[in-house]
Amino acid sequence: MSLSPLVPTVLRNLFKKPATNLFPRAEPVPVPENFRGQIKYNVDKCVGCRMCVTVCPAGVFVFLPEIRKVALWTARCVYCKQCVDVCPTGALQMSDEFLLASYDNYDDKFIPLKPEKVEEIKKKLEEQKKAKEKAKAEKKEQSKA
Amino acid sequence: MDVMANIVYPVAGLIGLYAFVSLASLVWEGIDRKLVARMQRRVGPPLLQPIYDFLKLASKETIVPNTANYMFRAAPVLALATTIALLAYTPMGFEPLLSSRGDVIVFIYLLTLICFFKILGAISSGSPYAKIGAAREAAIMVSREPAMMLAIFAIMWRLGKLGVEKPFSMGVFYQHNIWEIGTPLSFVGAIILLYVFCVWLASEIEAGYFNIPDAEEEIAEGALAEYSGRYLALLKLTKALKTYIGASLVVSIFFPWGIAGYLNLSGISADIVNLLFHTLKVFILLFAVQSVFRATTGRLKITQAVELLWKNVLPASIIGTLLIAMEVIM
Repeated sequence: MSLSPLVPTVLRNLFKKPATNLFPRAEPVPVPENFRGQIKYNVDKCVGCRMCVTVCPAGVFVFLPEIRKVALWTARCVYCKQCVDVCPTGALQMSDEFLLASYDNYDDKFIPLKPEKVEEIKKKLEEQKKAKEKAKAEKKEQSKA
Repeated sequence: MDVMANIVYPVAGLIGLYAFVSLASLVWEGIDRKLVARMQRRVGPPLLQPIYDFLKLASKETIVPNTANYMFRAAPVLALATTIALLAYTPMGFEPLLSSRGDVIVFIYLLTLICFFKILGAISSGSPYAKIGAAREAAIMVSREPAMMLAIFAIMWRLGKLGVEKPFSMGVFYQHNIWEIGTPLSFVGAIILLYVFCVWLASEIEAGYFNIPDAEEEIAEGALAEYSGRYLALLKLTKALKTYIGASLVVSIFFPWGIAGYLNLSGISADIVNLLFHTLKVFILLFAVQSVFRATTGRLKITQAVELLWKNVLPASIIGTLLIAMEVIM
């Protein structure tokens, strides 16, 4: 039996510092530029063009016709960034967040556009519609008069 | 010949030794894991991790396969009981508690019996994977013992020639040691036997080359495949104790010097200081034989390991024995 060639390496390593990142105690390894983290959705910028629904390979998006927006469930996202590339208004962006472990699949952080918000937008749209109709009716009356 | 000296003190000593050795051997396992982690540039678990593991295993649900027979439950308990009994015959810096004439046979018998109970438990589980692991364990066991037995009997016989009150007792190492014989031939023989004992120890504790019967990557974790919960905790503790005992044997044969004499201690305090110093020596020996060996070598195939033990270690043992015995024979 000859001495293993690893012995000197191993004994030298014994006096070196560990080459590891002590994550919960230290900061995680910094993310690179253009890191593909969780999707961020900006509802106000969305024009409802349905491009993201077409291009998404994982079926994250559901189009909501009444309000012309999309609902997302990012727990299913595969981080391919195709929706970000295809979005014409820049309403979808990749963030740097990657610590996304959760006890609940339907955690709030996976659903950027919540049902309450959808209702709110619906109400707003209806109000706008009513206001417009009112304005139209008033205009008609004015023009009649 | 009173009750106190013959029964009460040895029992108290055994309980104390058991408490100390189980703590020390589990801590050594933690140190070993830490050292190997540092050799691979990792941080490693905390030093007390094996103790946490033991407590966790002991608190987990124990599953007994419905193909297992009663020996499956009995074997871990018997193995640990054998190990505790073995502590009474293990030299640990002072003469063993129950040292008497010829107790080296008891020592070897009990040390092998631990292994035997492990095999018995594995073949009683009804799992064919555990049976293959047990067969490997048995093959290694019968291959490693002859070299060690030849060497230890030769050393004891040679030390007996120097005049001891209890020949072939585990205590003789503290009266005469192998380096005292003094001839160049015996010195070379002692070095060769040190090699034999180091390989024996490595195969006894299944480190490096000999990590065959229990290895995770071998056939479905080998002999311990079916054990879980409390029984696994007992077997892990047994293994830790056996590591300490095996290393104790090698340390007491080759490095039996204590420090209590230099510190002018006597009685119980001398024993405690010698025990602590002995533990330090055990840790140093295990560092070389377990940690470094484990970190630098992969395991052999079972055929290669058996071949190594018969074709390399046994001849080395015979040569070392002859060199030690030389000037008495001629």
